[in-house]
Amino acid sequence: MLNAAVRDALASAVGARNVLSDPVQLRSYECDGLTGFRQIPALVVLPLDTESVAAAVRVCHEHGVPFVARGAGTGLSGGAMPVADGVVISLQRLRQVLEVDPVDRRAVVQPGVTNLDITKAAAPQGLYYAPDPSSQQVCTIGGNVAENSGGAHCLKYGFTTNHVLSMTVVLPDGEVVTLGGDTGDQLGPDLRGVFIGSEGTLGIVCEITVRLLRVPETVRTLLADFPSVRAAGEVVSDIVAAGIVPAAVEMMDNLAIQAAEKAVGAGYTLDTPAALVVELDGPAAECGSQFEQVKAICDRHGCTRLHIAGDAGERAKIWMGRKAAFAAVGRISPDYIVQDGVVPRTRLAEVLGRIEEMGQAAGLRVANVFHAGDGNLHPLVLFDEDAGELERAEELSKDIAELCVELGGSLSGEHGIGTDKACSMPRMFGVDDLATMDRVRSAFDPGKLCNPGKLLPTPRLCGERPGRYRPHPLEEAGVIERL
Amino acid sequence: MTERTEPGFDALHPPSRELLDDCVHCGFCLPTCPTYQLWGEEMDSPRGRIYLMDLAERGEIELQGAFTEHIDACLGCMACVTACPSGVQYNRLLEATRPQIERNVERSRSDRLFRGGIFALFPYRRRLRAAAIFGLVYQKLRLDRVAERVLPPRLRATQALMPPVKLRDAFASLPRRVKPDGPVRRRVAMLSGCVQDVFFHEVNVATQRVLAAEGCEVLTPRDQGCCGALGLHAGREDHATKHAKRTIETFEKLPVDNIVVNVAGCGSSMKEYADLLADDPEWAERAKSFSAKVRDVTELLAELEPRAKRHPMKAKVAYHDACHLGHAQGVRAQPRAVLRTIPGLDVVDLPEAELCCGSAGIYNMVQPEPAAELGERKAGNIRAVNPDLLVTANPGCLLQIGRYLDGDVPMFHPVQVLDASLRGRPLP
Amino acid sequence: MTATMLAPTDLRGAHEALADTEGTVQLQGAGTAAGWAGAALPTDTVLDTTRMTGVLAYNPSDMTVAVRAGTPLSELQAELAANGQRVAFDAARVARGATVGGLVATADSGPLALAYGSLRDLVIGATVVLADGTVARTGGHVIKNVAGYDLAKLLHGSYGGFALLAEVVLRLHPVPASARTVSLECPLDVGAERAALVLGSALEPVCLEWAEGTLLARLEGTPDGTEARARELAGLIGGSVLTEDDADAAWARHAELTGAAVVRVGCRPSRLAGLIGAPGGPAVAGLGTGIGTVGLPFAEVNGMHDAVTAIGGTSVTHQRPPSGVRAWGRMPSAIRVLRALKNELDPHGRLSPGRFESWFGEFGNREENP
Repeated sequence: MLNAAVRDALASAVGARNVLSDPVQLRSYECDGLTGFRQIPALVVLPLDTESVAAAVRVCHEHGVPFVARGAGTGLSGGAMPVADGVVISLQRLRQVLEVDPVDRRAVVQPGVTNLDITKAAAPQGLYYAPDPSSQQVCTIGGNVAENSGGAHCLKYGFTTNHVLSMTVVLPDGEVVTLGGDTGDQLGPDLRGVFIGSEGTLGIVCEITVRLLRVPETVRTLLADFPSVRAAGEVVSDIVAAGIVPAAVEMMDNLAIQAAEKAVGAGYTLDTPAALVVELDGPAAECGSQFEQVKAICDRHGCTRLHIAGDAGERAKIWMGRKAAFAAVGRISPDYIVQDGVVPRTRLAEVLGRIEEMGQAAGLRVANVFHAGDGNLHPLVLFDEDAGELERAEELSKDIAELCVELGGSLSGEHGIGTDKACSMPRMFGVDDLATMDRVRSAFDPGKLCNPGKLLPTPRLCGERPGRYRPHPLEEAGVIERL
Repeated sequence: MTERTEPGFDALHPPSRELLDDCVHCGFCLPTCPTYQLWGEEMDSPRGRIYLMDLAERGEIELQGAFTEHIDACLGCMACVTACPSGVQYNRLLEATRPQIERNVERSRSDRLFRGGIFALFPYRRRLRAAAIFGLVYQKLRLDRVAERVLPPRLRATQALMPPVKLRDAFASLPRRVKPDGPVRRRVAMLSGCVQDVFFHEVNVATQRVLAAEGCEVLTPRDQGCCGALGLHAGREDHATKHAKRTIETFEKLPVDNIVVNVAGCGSSMKEYADLLADDPEWAERAKSFSAKVRDVTELLAELEPRAKRHPMKAKVAYHDACHLGHAQGVRAQPRAVLRTIPGLDVVDLPEAELCCGSAGIYNMVQPEPAAELGERKAGNIRAVNPDLLVTANPGCLLQIGRYLDGDVPMFHPVQVLDASLRGRPLP
Repeated sequence: MTATMLAPTDLRGAHEALADTEGTVQLQGAGTAAGWAGAALPTDTVLDTTRMTGVLAYNPSDMTVAVRAGTPLSELQAELAANGQRVAFDAARVARGATVGGLVATADSGPLALAYGSLRDLVIGATVVLADGTVARTGGHVIKNVAGYDLAKLLHGSYGGFALLAEVVLRLHPVPASARTVSLECPLDVGAERAALVLGSALEPVCLEWAEGTLLARLEGTPDGTEARARELAGLIGGSVLTEDDADAAWARHAELTGAAVVRVGCRPSRLAGLIGAPGGPAVAGLGTGIGTVGLPFAEVNGMHDAVTAIGGTSVTHQRPPSGVRAWGRMPSAIRVLRALKNELDPHGRLSPGRFESWFGEFGNREENP
């Protein structure tokens, strides 16, 4: 429990009206988008400006209290799970777009602004913010910075790190600094680049300057059905081999298609084994001729139905299905785990085959939604907790992520390591790699108070897994297996 | 109120585990939730409220205190239902939770009296008429200015909503049968509503005229009462079922194809009678066939190929989706389509269209502060598109928005606009 | 003091070079940026990376390549071009033999930065060797990867002060089927106005630079598409479409001017023309990126640093100034973090002393925090 002095200090740092301490209220902050990990915080504060974020962090720093920054709480790796006896610093009252500069094509926003609201604010100027995670209507730019979020269009346009020019950051001791600069570069080493994607462990971002891009002249989108996932995968390879860089290439397998179609009625074919969404954008003439090439490639690989979005509304509908696919899986399965791994694109077919085998061996269904252009998989392991399948599902999901590493890929393409995968990090990185990362962390946060227990494995975390919500004590078996 | 020692819900229809489990905690509902937009607190988001319902269902938290506070703060606008990719039926969760609170949580005396007062007034046309007379006197004497200073926030909010009313309208009665000029395309019965009939009598008149012009025979039974919507949305189950049964009784004996409603909140609850009375063997079937016939007036008009001649109207119309029409009934395209049958009319959408105006049944009376913030925000979004008219299909929204627009933009129900076009007359 | 020269050929050799030695070490590549930033102080050892060359892994279908950091980028580009691929990066000194590692360590970039960013945006993985010989990997071989801290970013612009970059994994792009350059002879202020027109259009130039009297815009894509866009762009700015030879010559001149510059500056693009137009020396202005270079007498360098700092920009010298002239503009606001990182990664201050002047206190006359 926090002592009264800390509570008082926090109340005066952010204002008493912006502190939550009712036990029932605190319960609603015990997890983020990954509900399997829960921990009730001691206190939640909702600062109104950068200065009070800094003041709250200074109080934590002075009293040795751990703190966790939280945006919309949509993260899927438990990155915003609170720490026992720690403070949650919610950035949901910092929600202003401070500036849109059409001349230098940039916007200055507070961290609680949603990804999509940046684009909405820029739209009147013919500009937009490129990274578009599937949760863009709700996830916040602060969270995007923490996770280095990508999205369907990052194949062509890159990730958060490629679109953030500079940031005002509250360091773990409460000092307020600027990382990056007007051109993105800062003098000397690229601290902006290190901070973005650090999962809230190096400080709290309070103001972000992002690059805005001009809305492309043309956008062409097609939805193509294929007789197999393999055929769809070959289409992707051929598109890339033709020297085309599509704005997005997304693949869904049959289970994912069924779920998405149930949720939004996007016009997907319910019984097709696989479907691709391919989007090209850019100058009209080039976009048009490349689009014809893509259609020809689709035909060559036995495309069974090709639907071309006729207008912005139809395009939005196609994307709505894709973007809602994770949550939509809730309609075809009582419970599910979203996995996020990456393999070199050329190994997609192999990894999908292995996943299918592993799913069969575990007796669980796996739906696949993924960014095919960059090899980022999102296998969704379907299970029924009431039928006691949780352990098996978690095991399968973890095995899939580690399989990605085995095939030369990564544990995470965009959801982050967080609490969820910290214990798998040794599969991807050696002792020295992790020790070096820990040195970086120490440089920013010697007291290890800023989102502790996330991203890097700790003996405590991977030994006894504190805060892990388990309905019954069978967990021990799983714990041992995890190491 | 019953004495209970166990925390959590009682056994009488608590929110079902199955419905609670549908929520996967993805948070897609957050940006469309009015209270989350205002405060940014997890407990005042749909995801947070469902999380608390879940904890209450497991018996981990008490209903008294924070739980009740955050469920009370919900407007019931159902924007989250529209936004949810997992198909969570928040409407059913909320309708199962509110009666639990009404039964099991002791409210403060003033809260009890105030809520009781609302339910003693609004669902009754005669009492509303009396209030209207009082309101008229009140307006004439400029008592509102006095009231601004002396009344507590809730009463002040209630009095500020009272629209200027013409006595003749408040007491006027509607013809019981209106026949179309030509052949009958559809036979319908109309719900005349409580607030609607007293404060927006002209909307009912316009509805009858428009329907008749489009070939509908319109029956408007005199003996109809409140449909129970206010009670249903506030967790007063007894009130809701009593009025639902009476309404079914009144309408089911009429030889009509559809039951037409021009009030979004009433339409939404009448479509839910089937759920409300599902467990009552005597009423389940009757409720189901009743609900199946219910149509919002714009829904019905959109189903009928336009027949009557529209006179052009040169105006920019901002259309505001009433939550109980858009979110609760999914009726968004139809009112726009109906308005667009009028030549020259430019129908535009509002920024943050999905966000509630703060009216939400009795919400603007019991939760005046957030309702006021939402009202201001809605008014700002309306002014931003600079329309000639604001059109919305719900009297609650008209009252609420009217208060914050402060006469800047004339406001109408869609049927009033269509009525004016059909008759070739300017809007009143 | 004569320094010991070490020239390892691979990761193991690089590890040994640092693990088995003591004292200070100057990390050195092809030496194409030896005169940039602060002067290197004499060290006990010089670690030359230019023998650490060669491609480690290249699978064209994955569009990624892993190379030893001492590989000259121009050589790598030649190898990639055989497969119709490239590293979408064109800093001026690439032609002079700059190594991949050196280009990362100096945070260099060229005109293509408008569309593709700098190497920080193209490096997807790296293997580094710390001052104590610790070998650490970061990132990987896939474009999309958020596992762990991105140590490669930390080395971008580190001038050898944090660690040795031994191996680098880069993401690749297809070589465009066609490129067209539009040019307009004009003074800088006119160039800036026309550039704003181009940036407000949907023409999507990949480069947009003013190089001492000439505004240059390059378009890449399909032959028909670039042809049509080039004509449209020429009409928009009142310029002309260059022949391939003229375009090559124009960009070669651009690189030459960049290479001869004294100071490199960065600021909001709309402020760049006003900033670098003032001294009157030969200038190159990235009118879309906000990055420019300018030639000016050393006596005016401190003034330029101050002018850049005043508008919130960054500046660093690209030629060794005489003493009394600062190599760097303002110190970064997070200098405390940089010092802490230096202390964690290179606690004994072995690596490349001097390049950041007084930031890490090598001169003993540590400046006050800004």
